[in-house]
Amino acid sequence: MLDTIDKELLKAVADLESIPKGAYNIRKNGKLLAREVTANIDIVTNEENNGIEIHIKPGTVNESVHIPVILSQADLYDVVYNKFVIGEGSDVVIVAGCGIHCGTDKPEGHAGVHEFFVGKNARVRYVEKHYATGPGTGKRTLSPTTRVFLEEGAVAEMELTQLGGVDQAMRVNEATLGPGSSLIISEKVMTDGDQKAESKNIIVLDGTDSSAELISRSVIKGNSRQNFYATLEARAKCYGHLECDAIVMDNGTNETVPALKSLHPEAELTHEAAIGKIANDQLLKLMSMGMTYDEAVNKIIQGFLK
Amino acid sequence: MLELKDLHFSIEEEDEQGQQVVTEIIKGIDFTFEKGKFYAITGPNGGGKTTLSKLIMGINPVTSGKIIFEGKDITDLSITDRAKMGIAYGFQHPARFKGMTFRDLLAIAAGTNDKETLVRILARVGICTIEFLDKEVGSKLSGGEIKKIELATIIALNPKLAIFDEPDTGIDLWTIGPMVELLKKQQEEHGTTTIVVSHNEKFLEAADELILIRGGKIAHVGGFEESLPLLKDDEFCSWKSICEGGTLCSIQ
Ligand SMILES: Nc1ncnc2c1ncn2[C@@H]1O[C@H](COP(=O)(O)OP(=O)(O)OP(=O)(O)O)[C@@H](O)[C@H]1O
Ligand SMILES: [Mg+2]
Repeated sequence: MLDTIDKELLKAVADLESIPKGAYNIRKNGKLLAREVTANIDIVTNEENNGIEIHIKPGTVNESVHIPVILSQADLYDVVYNKFVIGEGSDVVIVAGCGIHCGTDKPEGHAGVHEFFVGKNARVRYVEKHYATGPGTGKRTLSPTTRVFLEEGAVAEMELTQLGGVDQAMRVNEATLGPGSSLIISEKVMTDGDQKAESKNIIVLDGTDSSAELISRSVIKGNSRQNFYATLEARAKCYGHLECDAIVMDNGTNETVPALKSLHPEAELTHEAAIGKIANDQLLKLMSMGMTYDEAVNKIIQGFLK
Repeated sequence: MLELKDLHFSIEEEDEQGQQVVTEIIKGIDFTFEKGKFYAITGPNGGGKTTLSKLIMGINPVTSGKIIFEGKDITDLSITDRAKMGIAYGFQHPARFKGMTFRDLLAIAAGTNDKETLVRILARVGICTIEFLDKEVGSKLSGGEIKKIELATIIALNPKLAIFDEPDTGIDLWTIGPMVELLKKQQEEHGTTTIVVSHNEKFLEAADELILIRGGKIAHVGGFEESLPLLKDDEFCSWKSICEGGTLCSIQ
């Protein structure tokens, strides 16, 4: 059922060697390839027939859902709308990701809108990897949108990664936080050649004692460009922190615009932003331990994106 | 094992008028370090101790003169090549890395990820705990912590020639003694030729030979006892030189 290319893509985006354990939904070239549900996790195709709904029963713990999307068909632009309803008090891991294999000069792309409704005191860890490969020259586009709604006491950790091969990425992350809820987003993007990546983030801290942390790490090689925009908006007593770091190599360019908006006197919002080359003292340290210049560069980037 | 022959180091800078001016920082140093001995380098701030250490490691390029290591001319070799030959330098101001842990750095130095080996190295180093291993070598580390980590990486490299640039800055009083012992033990057990740049009496006392560097030159070489009066005087002088332009400072 899975060919070699499928397997390579699944490995890259979802760390899967084969069909995963637990609930899953694998989408290939715009169509359902395989699906499995469990007693606590239900997956159904939505009414519009353009995506899936994932319902996780209240109290479900230690379960995971894999929902990778793979593309290897020329001239296909696949758009999905996925909705996750995560029941009260549950604790789950969701692994998503999109792998594109481009074998021709025709473009291939994927856009996904993912909406998360995280119930009271529920915890979710969401891991999403984007990757494109293949000998073709067609433009590979990925445009994910993530919307997160956290109810009281809910916790969401989101790891969003794009480490290579994607020519153009337009990412949007939006979140609204209820009382006592907390959100951590860490985004890691590496671009090279003439690739472009843009990330727009709007996080609204709506509930008392909510907290949000957004950490972005970018490595910008070749002639590539990455833009990063983030707004933290505080509407209650809350805590929010933005951290954006970009390492620029070769002729890469970057624009980073962090914004903090406070609409409440007891909101505490902070940000750190830095753009620069690899620090010379780091290179010197690694070389003085016997690494070559190139090895040192790789090591530093590896650590930075870890 | 290490010979410095008429070593000079100059930098080119722009002055206020935008003119290129050449400033000489190391002004002709001749010295031979013998295998397995323990040396302390001291002297006033800005005297050139760090610059000299970085010349030996290859971080600063030699302007003129030669560096001979174990009979080989290494004057034009890269940092990497010198490191591979067994020279190591612990920075006065160690680099901080986003996303790299102490374990990562130690693994590079030790050449292995093997947990047991790393723990054994830590036990040998003695001054940093196992809990340190998963700490990020980032901006959150204290000044003393990062110095301990820096020192540990040099011990893990087990070099033939180890240069420690002020390993004691920021280190608490309780750790300085064990740190001196550690370096002495390395010297004795592994025959490490050791150079410690320091202003601390404990290190100066531990050294076989003491080198006083001032104004880019070696001002004095000797044992601890005989150098003591000079050092005391020197401390006085270095303050004077900051306040009064250094004219009062000269050695008879
Ligand atoms: N790259 C450089 N550019 C300009 N000046 C430099 C450079 N490197 C060293 N210097 C100058 O050379 C002199 C010697 O500096 P060095 O750091 O070697 O002193 P040091 O003896 O290590 O002092 P300390 O005890 O404060 O560590 C100082 O005046 C310093 O400002
Ligand atoms: Mg110094």
